[in-house]
Formats: sequence, C-alpha cells, structure tokens
Amino acid sequence: MISLAGRDILQSWSKFVLTGLGLGLLIGVTFTMAGVYRGMVDDAMVLLNNSGADLWVVQKDTLGPYAEPSSIHDDVYRGILGMSGVAQAANVTYLTMQVRKGSTDIRAMVVGFEPGQPGEPGHLVAGRRITRSHYEAVADVNTGFAVGERIRIRRHDYTVVGLTRRMVSSGGDPMVFIALKDAQEAQFLKDNDAIVNERTRTATNPALNRPGVPGLLDAIEESQTNNHSVNAVLVRVAEGRSQEAVAQEIRRWKHLQAFTREQMENILIAKLIATAARQIGMFLVILTIVSAAIVAFIIYTMTLGKIREIAVLKLIGTRNRTIAGMILQEALGLGLIGFAVGKIAATIWGPYFPRYVLLLPGDAVRGFAIVMVVCTIASTLAIRAALKVDPATAIGG
Amino acid sequence: MKIPLTLPRQVWFATFGVALLLALGWVATRSGPLAPIKVTITRAAKGEVGPALFGIGTVEAQRAYLIGPTAAGRVRRVLVDVGDTVKVGQLLAEMDPVDLDRRVASAGAAAERGRSAVKTAEAQARDAKSRQEFATAEARRYMDLGRKGFISQSVVDGKLQEQKSADALLAAAEAGLAGAQRDLARLGADLGGAQQQRDNIRLYAPVDGTVTSRDAEPGSTVIAGQSVLKLEDPNSLWVTSRLDQGRSAGLRVGLPAEITLRSNPRKPLAGKVVRVEPISDSVTEERIAEVAFDRLPQGASTGEMAEVTLHLPAISDALLVPNASLRFRGAQAGVWLHVDGHLRFAPVKTGAEGFDGKVQIVEGLKAGDEVVVYSERDLKDDSRIKVVSSLAGKTK
Amino acid sequence: MSAGLAVHIEGLSKRYGKGESAVDALKEVNMSVAAGEVVGLIGPSGSGKTTLLKCLGAVIEPTRGRMTLGGDLIYEDGWKISDLRELRRDRIGFIFQAPYLIPFLDVTDNVALLPMLAGRPNAEARSRALELLKALDVAHRAKAQPSELSGGEQQRVSIARALANKPPVILADEPTAPLDSERALAVMLILNQMAKQYQTAIIIVTHDEKIIPTFKRLYHIRDGRTVEEAGEGRALQ
Repeated sequence: MISLAGRDILQSWSKFVLTGLGLGLLIGVTFTMAGVYRGMVDDAMVLLNNSGADLWVVQKDTLGPYAEPSSIHDDVYRGILGMSGVAQAANVTYLTMQVRKGSTDIRAMVVGFEPGQPGEPGHLVAGRRITRSHYEAVADVNTGFAVGERIRIRRHDYTVVGLTRRMVSSGGDPMVFIALKDAQEAQFLKDNDAIVNERTRTATNPALNRPGVPGLLDAIEESQTNNHSVNAVLVRVAEGRSQEAVAQEIRRWKHLQAFTREQMENILIAKLIATAARQIGMFLVILTIVSAAIVAFIIYTMTLGKIREIAVLKLIGTRNRTIAGMILQEALGLGLIGFAVGKIAATIWGPYFPRYVLLLPGDAVRGFAIVMVVCTIASTLAIRAALKVDPATAIGG
Repeated sequence: MKIPLTLPRQVWFATFGVALLLALGWVATRSGPLAPIKVTITRAAKGEVGPALFGIGTVEAQRAYLIGPTAAGRVRRVLVDVGDTVKVGQLLAEMDPVDLDRRVASAGAAAERGRSAVKTAEAQARDAKSRQEFATAEARRYMDLGRKGFISQSVVDGKLQEQKSADALLAAAEAGLAGAQRDLARLGADLGGAQQQRDNIRLYAPVDGTVTSRDAEPGSTVIAGQSVLKLEDPNSLWVTSRLDQGRSAGLRVGLPAEITLRSNPRKPLAGKVVRVEPISDSVTEERIAEVAFDRLPQGASTGEMAEVTLHLPAISDALLVPNASLRFRGAQAGVWLHVDGHLRFAPVKTGAEGFDGKVQIVEGLKAGDEVVVYSERDLKDDSRIKVVSSLAGKTK
Repeated sequence: MSAGLAVHIEGLSKRYGKGESAVDALKEVNMSVAAGEVVGLIGPSGSGKTTLLKCLGAVIEPTRGRMTLGGDLIYEDGWKISDLRELRRDRIGFIFQAPYLIPFLDVTDNVALLPMLAGRPNAEARSRALELLKALDVAHRAKAQPSELSGGEQQRVSIARALANKPPVILADEPTAPLDSERALAVMLILNQMAKQYQTAIIIVTHDEKIIPTFKRLYHIRDGRTVEEAGEGRALQ
C-alpha cells in the first residue's frame, strides 16, 4: 500500500511547505514566548547564583533587595561577620538607573560590590577585574559598552575595564558593577542643585546655623552629604552549616531580615515574575488555539478541494479509515514541518530579543507532543467532512 | 515509498526535509543548554608586575588660618579680598573700636591722675617724714631734759606721744604712697589692657599667604572666634588622599605618586607621600595619606578632587596571570586549569596585583600552565568546553 | 437461474420517501448479464437508470428484490454482504462520465491502487497495472501524472483502473458522453475487447445515439421498469 498522504503532499509540495513555514513561524513565536518565561526565571536564578551568596540580609519587614527597596547601615556587616557560621559577609548596593555613554543613555542596574567578596561577578568574557578602588566599572555585554569606553554614572566618569555575560537584574536590565563606595555615592548623593538647595535651607535655619558655634553648620552639611547606607549584606555561610539556622540568628537582631536562597527564589519567582508568567501563559494558550485553528482550516480546505476524489475513492472501495488516515497524516506532516521550522526560527531569532530567551530541550519535546495533539484535533473537522461524503455522488446524473 | 530519482519534485521535497532535519540537529547541539561552553585560554608566564595603590582625595592646604577678633564687635573695614597675597604682619582688617578709644583715653587720664596721686602721696610722705624726724628729735631732747629733771614727766610723755603719732603718720603716709604707686601700676595695666584691646581690633596676617575667604563685610557684627578672613599658605598645598584599608599594603612615606587633578585629568603631576596619618577613618575604612606635589600646579584650588596613584616597587620574575582568570570557591581563590581538554580547579595564593590586571601567583601554578581566562558561564568540573580565541567585547 | 451469469437481478424495486410523497424509482426490475457480455441500459433522464446503477453498484440499498453478482447472492430484501465497500472494491469496476483519476497519483498507481487496497503487494499490483495499461495502449504514459494526459488517454486509464481487481462486472455511466463519434466507437471497441479478454460483464448506462447501435442486447428503462430488447449489434473495427 502506498501512502496517499505522502503522494498528495508531494503533488502540492510547495503549497504544503509554505503553509508549514507560516505555521512554523507561529509555532516559533509560541516557543519564544515560552522561552521568554524560562528566560525570566533563569534571569532570577542567575541573579541569585552569580551573587555567590547563601543569605541576603536586608531591612526588616522588606522583601528586598530586589523585590522591594531596602536600606541598612553599612557597618551592620561587621556584626554579622562576627556571628558563628558566617564565612563571608559583604555590603552590596543595587540601583536601577540611567547610565550615560556619550549622548545616549541606557537603563542598567548599578551594583556596588567589594572585591573578592560575594556580589562580585564570578567570571568575565573580556577585559579584567577592577583593580583601582574608584572609577572603574565592569559591565554586562547587553549594555553595549566595550572595554575602554568611558561611561557616566551620576557625577563621575568610569572606565569600563571588563565585560560579563548574563548578569542581568530580575527586570532584565543589564548590570554595571562599580566599587561599593562609588555606588553608595551614586545612590545616596543628590545632584548639585539639590545639594545647594539643601545647604541654603540648612544655613537659614537658626537652630543649625548658630553664630556662637562656628563649626556647627559645616559639620551638619557634612553629615547631610555623607552616605552610610547600603541595600543589603550578602552572606556566605560556612561549610556544613545550615543556611536557615544562620538566617534565624540574624533575624533575632531586631532591625534586620534575612532570606535564604530558597526564600529569595520564591520571592523572585512567585512575586516578581508571577504577573508576567500569567500573561505569558495566556499568550501561549491563545497562540495554541490560533495554531490549531490554522491547521484545521488549512487541512479542511485541502480536503474540500479533494471532495470529488474522496467520493470516487469511497465508491471504488477505499475504506473510511484509509481516507481518515490520509487526512490525519497530512495534518501531522504539516505539524512536523511547522514544529521543525518553529524550533529553528525560535533558536535563530532568540538572541535578538531584548530579554533572555531560554529554550530547553524538554520544552521542545513537550512542544512537539502538543503540536502533534493539536494537529490531530484540528484534523477532525476535515475528517468529519470527508466521512460525510456520499460515494453515490460520484455517479452523477 | 519509492522515490525515483528522475522526478525533480521528490528531490526538492527530500532536500527540504533533509535540510530541515540538519538544521534541527544543528540547533539542538550548538545552542541552548546542551552546547559546550566557550572559553579562552592563556598560559601563566613570568613577568614584571607593578603594584600600585589608588586613592582619591582633595587638594588642601597644610595650614589654614582663621583671622578674627578676640571679642565681639563690628567690622569696620576689610582691606584685602579673596585671592590677594599678603605678607606677614600686614594689616588685613579692622574692627570698629566703638568706645575703645575713649576707654584708652579714660585709662590714660586715670593713669595720669594716678601719677599725681603718687606725687601727692610722696609729698605727704616727705612731710610726714620731716615731722616724724622733728618729733623724734624733740622726743629725744625732752627725754634728755626729763632725765635731767628739768621738765615734768607728763611733758616728756606728751612729746613721746607726739613722736609716736608722727611715726604713725609717717607709716600712714608711706603706706599711702605705696598704695598710690600700686594704684598707678593698676591704672597703668588698665591702660595697657585698653590699648591692647584697641590693638586687637586690628587683624594682622600671621604668615605670608593668600586670602581664601572673606567672611564678614564692614558693618557686620562678629563674635569672638568667628572668622573675618581665612588665610592659607599656597605653598603648603597637598592632597589629602584616602585609600581603602584593605588595599593599602605597602603604604609608607616617600612613595612616588602620580596626582591627577579633576580640573586637568590629562596631565598627571608628580608627587610623593609625605605623611601617613596615624589615625585612620574607621567609619569609611580608609587610611589617609598626605601627598605633596613635587612642583606646585598653577591655579590649583583647595577642595578640588584628585586621584592619586602610588607606585610600589615593581616585582620582577613573578608568575603572572590575568586577574580575570581568578575564580572564587567560597573564600578560596583559584583558577581553572586546562589539562588535556579537561578542567580542574586549582587553588592559588595571590601576591601583588598591577593596575593592568596582571596578578602574581605565589603558590599553586607553574609557568606554562594553561588557565581559563574568559568563560560564557560559570564552570564546573564536568563542564564541556570549547576553546575560542575571543568571546566578546572590542577594546577601544 | 443465475449460475454462469455475472449479474442477475430479479424484481428489484427502490422507493424513495414514505407515504404520500413516496416515489418508486425502480419497479420490479429484472436484468441478466453473462460474463463477457456488454449490454446497454438506455432510457430518458429520470427513468431510474442512475438509480439502478447505484443499486447495482451497492451504493444505495434497494427496497425489495434480489441481486446476484458473479454467482454470489448479494441482496435479497436486504444486503447479504456485510462489507459493501469490499464488494465494490473487489467485485465491481466503475467507469464514470469523466475519468476521475486521482490527481496526486501517477498513472500506474491510479490503476494499481485498487489491488493495493485489496491487500496485494505493491510490486504485484503495479505489474498488473502495467499489463492493463499495455492492453489499453497507454503503457507509454505509465509514469505520467493524470493532468499530463489527453482526455482519451485518461479515459483509457480509468478503464484499466476499473479492470484492475478483475471484477466480474463493470458499471459504466455515460462513458462516451463527452466524446465525438470516432472516439466513442473506439471506446466501445476497447470495452468489448476487454470484456471478452477478461470475461467481465459490462453494463453501460447511456443515451448516446452514436453507440447504441453497437449493443447486441439492450435494456430499456422507463418509469422504473425495464424491457429487454435485442440490439443492432453493429460491428466495431
């Protein structure tokens, strides 16, 4: 027995292939959407993994430092370092802001870190690590910066000395790493106009500007422009110690909250990504329905075009299930081409998306199964039409 | 299904199908999580590393002077302005004397009066002295006469009593003189004080220098200790530099320095460390060093930001790797060794690091070892890798 | 007596609808055709000849009567065969007004399809097809697609298809309607030759004046009743 479906496809192969291509692009979009979701989860995981931390210590009653703003004193880490079970503890700051290069600026998350401590990027793809204590930066390749370029963050110019990859915030903004002190200044020191304004206000306040106390005004202005806050302390727990146990110890300090890696994962994925995940889920459902409709329509049209042949086939003795099988095979063939084209397209255009698109092999397998099921269901419309054909119509008149 | 080769349709379709399958296969193995991780490699080599320290600081004057009155008053005139060069002893400003002149005059008059009082007291003392001498002589004579029985005892007693009273009057007059003299001294001191106070309203330059600030204008009231002018010695400018405590090993007096002023970043100036402050900043965790200019720059202003690079002696024949190849497992630094196509994490001990990113390896590697420099992702012991020549980023 | 007859019909009736609006398309039709015989079924339109063909072709169910095919009883007031499709496939050949070849199969496979559906191995089916194509003088087009053939070639291929499973009877519905008289007679010649060669009974429904004289025996059908007649039996070249 020959394959009727195969012969039919071969006969009008260009139409079939073109339809498959179109369907494939639609499936590719579906894969990409799923990849965007996976990418968002991976962004969050990468953010947590790359920090090298086991615990995140933040302001009490906040879900910081990523989900909520958190501000703690920069000397808190000393106390934490002294606790048993703590191997390393370091200050970090995070602030999403505009970073200028020449006349353009891009949105980036500026991270303040201490060299050799949790918070420093683990690996580079170009350049070197920061060696000077100020005004050097390591940027993610997604910023578009090159090694050697000068960028401006708030009040100072920084030289990009190294590049990293996959260092993004949970919002997808690329990261720029600078020394902690520079980052503190960038985050907490206001612009010149605001500072001048502040100084004037302080100077006109008679309680603060006392002629009888000559150094008072200067000391107050100095304390106003000083910045001794950070967003979080990253803690690495000593070998063999329980993260949760150390975190509990830290929480007993009344003004601090500590999250373990699992809790941070939960915060990022359940809270930050949840809405986007739902949105993407809806898109996936809609796209699947659209794909199913398209396959159903195409196969139905192809079947209708063969109604007379189907009547003849039925009359001369072809079984119903042979005809149904032909239609089903055509639908599955279309799905196969669509899947292959879709997977290839998604892989090719994935890197050009502004957000990270992660396509897992498991997703491809699941996608294949879904495409096959959808095609099977979509073919039922045409199969029903084919089965309803009365073979007697072949005998005209 | 037979595919006869002569039919072009089958060939076209088959070609398409095969191409699709190949593309699918390529996609599966080349990208995504299954693909090998791209890395770049370099060899550890001996070389010279020039460690250096970096800090930022502000240009400040070694010594700054606050010129102001010692008592509250009103400013009468200010003779110099910001930027003027002054010499030591030069009159810079003057406070309003108010009633000080009159007080000096009154003290002078009082002193004059005191002098007259002294003269009067002296005359009185002389007078009392002469009376006392007379009374004493008289008393002697009468005692003599009394002994000879020429006069009655009561007359003698009377003369003795006169002598005593004359003595007392003399003592009193002398005391009065002493008092008047001390009074004169006091008045003299008062006068001196009033004069000095009046002199203090004149503000003189204590050293050669430049006026950096004019804080009170004529007519404004200032209290004791408030500054009217600020002065500093422009030749005493240095850069107060702050260096991270953790990265300040080797900081000592005499280190050669490169100073880059914010106002002229393209022309670094030479200098050297002249003092390392014994007290560090424990809040910001910084050490403070004073770096003097070898040659004072023109037009430098205090408060200007500067970047300071201190060069430590270079270490030659050190085993060097790029610092991008350092990875951390917990607190342990190490590198990924590339041996026979496999990776192995080798813990190392680092030494000095230069600003160019080369870091000295003291322990853990030998010359010629291949280490991973850049990698697309974090590496693990069993990661599949693919060595490429460069990963990303163009150097400008 | 139906032994030796390819087709034997007795008292076949077909009623459409019920009650008042019922229509009797066939009324007590009798017909017999021997193996290798070519008979014509002629009548005006609406006379029921298409209905009779459909009953013979086992695509519609008669109301009453008796039908045997190749000696086997297939209908007696109800189908006696469970799988009508198999019956059509193996025991009845169809030739339509138009060739109705399957456009996505080549000429050989169009003919070989029926044996393949019957379970024959592909090689055997194809060689049988080739044999028939040779007999019909279209073997040189064996690899072509139906769309590349002329009308006459397509017609001959469709005849080959009808013969592919060696059915005892072939039903032809106006096979010469679109043809001119030369071609029509050529088709009639072929059909006669095939009928004799493969001992197949051929019933041809037609009202084509050009070929009616060639029949040796005819059935006239009018208002659902048939009348057997002797035909002219004009010779064919």
